[in-house]
Amino acid sequence: MGTVHARSLDPLPMQGPELGVQADDMDLGEPEHEPQQEVLENKDHQTHLNSYGLGRTKEDILTYEIADVFQAKNLIDVMKKSHDARQRLLRLGIFRQVEVVIDTSEGEDALPNGLDVTFEVKELRRLTGSYNTMVGNNEGSMVLGLKLPNIFGRAEKLTFQFSYGTKETSYGLSFFKPQAGHFERNFSVNIYKVTGQFPWSSLRETDRGISTEFSFPIWKTNHTVKWEGVWRELSCLARTASFAVREESGHSLKSSLSHAMVIDTRNSAILPKKGALLKVNQELAGYTGGDASFLKEDFEIQVNRRLFWDSVLSASLWGGMLLPIGDKPTSIADRFYLGGPTSVRGFSMYSIGPQSEGDYLGGEAYWAGGIHLYTPLPFRPGRGGFGDLFRTHFFLNAGNLCNLNYGEGPRAHLSRLAECIRWSYGAGIVLRLGNIARLELNYCIPMGVQSGDRICDGVQFGAGIRFL
Amino acid sequence: MSLAAEAFVSQIAAAEPWPQNATLYQPLREDQILLSDCASSLAVQAYLRMCGLPVRVCCRANAEYMSPSGKVPFIHVGNQVVSELGPIVQFTKAKGHSLSDGLDDVQRAEMKAYMELVNNMLLTAEWCDDTTASEITRQRYSSPYSWPLNHILAYQKQWEVRRKMNAIGWAGKGLEQVYEDVSQCCQALSQRLGTQPFFFNKQPTELDALVFGHLFTILTTRLTTDELSERIKSCSNLLSFCRRIEQTYFEEDKDSQSAGSQYSRGPSLF
Repeated sequence: MGTVHARSLDPLPMQGPELGVQADDMDLGEPEHEPQQEVLENKDHQTHLNSYGLGRTKEDILTYEIADVFQAKNLIDVMKKSHDARQRLLRLGIFRQVEVVIDTSEGEDALPNGLDVTFEVKELRRLTGSYNTMVGNNEGSMVLGLKLPNIFGRAEKLTFQFSYGTKETSYGLSFFKPQAGHFERNFSVNIYKVTGQFPWSSLRETDRGISTEFSFPIWKTNHTVKWEGVWRELSCLARTASFAVREESGHSLKSSLSHAMVIDTRNSAILPKKGALLKVNQELAGYTGGDASFLKEDFEIQVNRRLFWDSVLSASLWGGMLLPIGDKPTSIADRFYLGGPTSVRGFSMYSIGPQSEGDYLGGEAYWAGGIHLYTPLPFRPGRGGFGDLFRTHFFLNAGNLCNLNYGEGPRAHLSRLAECIRWSYGAGIVLRLGNIARLELNYCIPMGVQSGDRICDGVQFGAGIRFL
Repeated sequence: MSLAAEAFVSQIAAAEPWPQNATLYQPLREDQILLSDCASSLAVQAYLRMCGLPVRVCCRANAEYMSPSGKVPFIHVGNQVVSELGPIVQFTKAKGHSLSDGLDDVQRAEMKAYMELVNNMLLTAEWCDDTTASEITRQRYSSPYSWPLNHILAYQKQWEVRRKMNAIGWAGKGLEQVYEDVSQCCQALSQRLGTQPFFFNKQPTELDALVFGHLFTILTTRLTTDELSERIKSCSNLLSFCRRIEQTYFEEDKDSQSAGSQYSRGPSLF
């Protein structure tokens, strides 16, 4: 038997919660540590496992990920399981590179059919930094990120992000720790200060908060339980803000427990070709302190199916409800908003529903649905390369947003949500950006417009992560 | 406000008559409002009543943050929002109601200076003295909020007020010194008033409203001691001045016990 070099062709994406999208990592000076050798033996299955290049990483987390290789029965099995082990090591987010080398055993205690599987790993530097500039909604900002991957040796990660903009400044610090051997079970702690400006409501919101969350998988679903404490400060963006928004100005404290369940069988998060997504989220505020007191439910469903000629039919449904507990009315910062290039297309950003003097106040219940047909570009230019990033799509969106009077029964609520439905249809081009975001350029025709809504008929451009 | 903004506001204001649903916003009366804010609010209410303009008083926990300038009280008239006595006087002037046409600028400036002095004294007494601040002021100021936000907001406001008092050189004054200053101010006002019914001419002006607001609040509120009000009571003509204004302009509230009396606190001068 000769030497089998098992190497993958392209780098696999690493998973793990990130605070934001970061550009090229810049390495900050750090001397190379001496490569250490770690040898695991299993005499029963005649396989030696060696690891090279471990510095601060502790051995026990590696053992969990590569233990499967011992179960292999023959060479093909060894190759497959080594490849899986390599993927699992990469998803920890602590190695820059993992290479697997399979060779026959040599040495005095080598068995005739023994195999030597060697994982050569290169750890990430102790501290990496990144620097981006961003141009967004009427604002330019400079974003500085610092990441310390694997600080204590068991794939813990500390991230710091600081954004300095022409209008607002935000920062956040996040600590992430997975359970050794079960990377999907992890917890993270975040401290942040985020400021946002919302011109559609003439509102400015500053959130200073701390949150801790636990994620764990149960069977095929992924659950996240989170506690969050936020000090919210609301103020008017302009002197001409409506009085309804002025009444909401001031400080409030929200302390909430939330639970989210996600089942995702799609093959990709952006422009999936098959699979489905179900996300259900609930949040209960007020029972752990704070001023805000409510129960909030929302869900997201998406189903995709491949049709003839490489086209995909996709249907999605979103909905949510906010139920105030006690006699205090809901705050504008908790309510739902609808409309814009990422939800019901053809309407201006978050410009559907209850409004006062041109400022949109959001609503306590909403639903939105969309049906899309994605096809490749006509005549398929640039096929096999650049052209594959683009898709044409035809869409039909509909939705409604309103406030509910919770004294009435559910029947009245349903009828309220079913009357005055806003909907729109049109077609456009979608560009996929990596695996994270997409850009859209659509021609929209809004219908069912109610008085007070602001529309954007004709050409509309949208960029974002989550689209209806 | 800048000159251009003032002109603009006057233009808009002049266009419409005073509506029936004009509202004045101030912090919560029972638990939250502080001496200095109460004085300002009462001054505005007295002024509007003197002009014969109806206004409803509405108490909100976040009145200070709702206000466009960050100070209470403010009024919501039509779709305009105006805060503090000075701009409100200008606003009503643009609508054609004015009480101080006959006054010259020197007199006006003099009275405003006195009142600014009294206001600063009240602020110092409340926030800069440690005992008062910890026992009364901080608790009242942050009473609508829950822990730990109440501590954060109270200390933030205290730091801000102390910084302002430092800038005018008042932070070092003890309570005794403040009482002394208030006394002297009252002596001066008392001399100015003499035996006249109001400070200028026979008619009340916004400056009478201003003085009334501050003195009445001091007379009917208790800080840690009753010293302040005692010192004012020693000037009898100021006392009768306050009584006269209360009787003339706030009288109807005593008779009609409608849902919550429209102004200030229960205790009166009677």
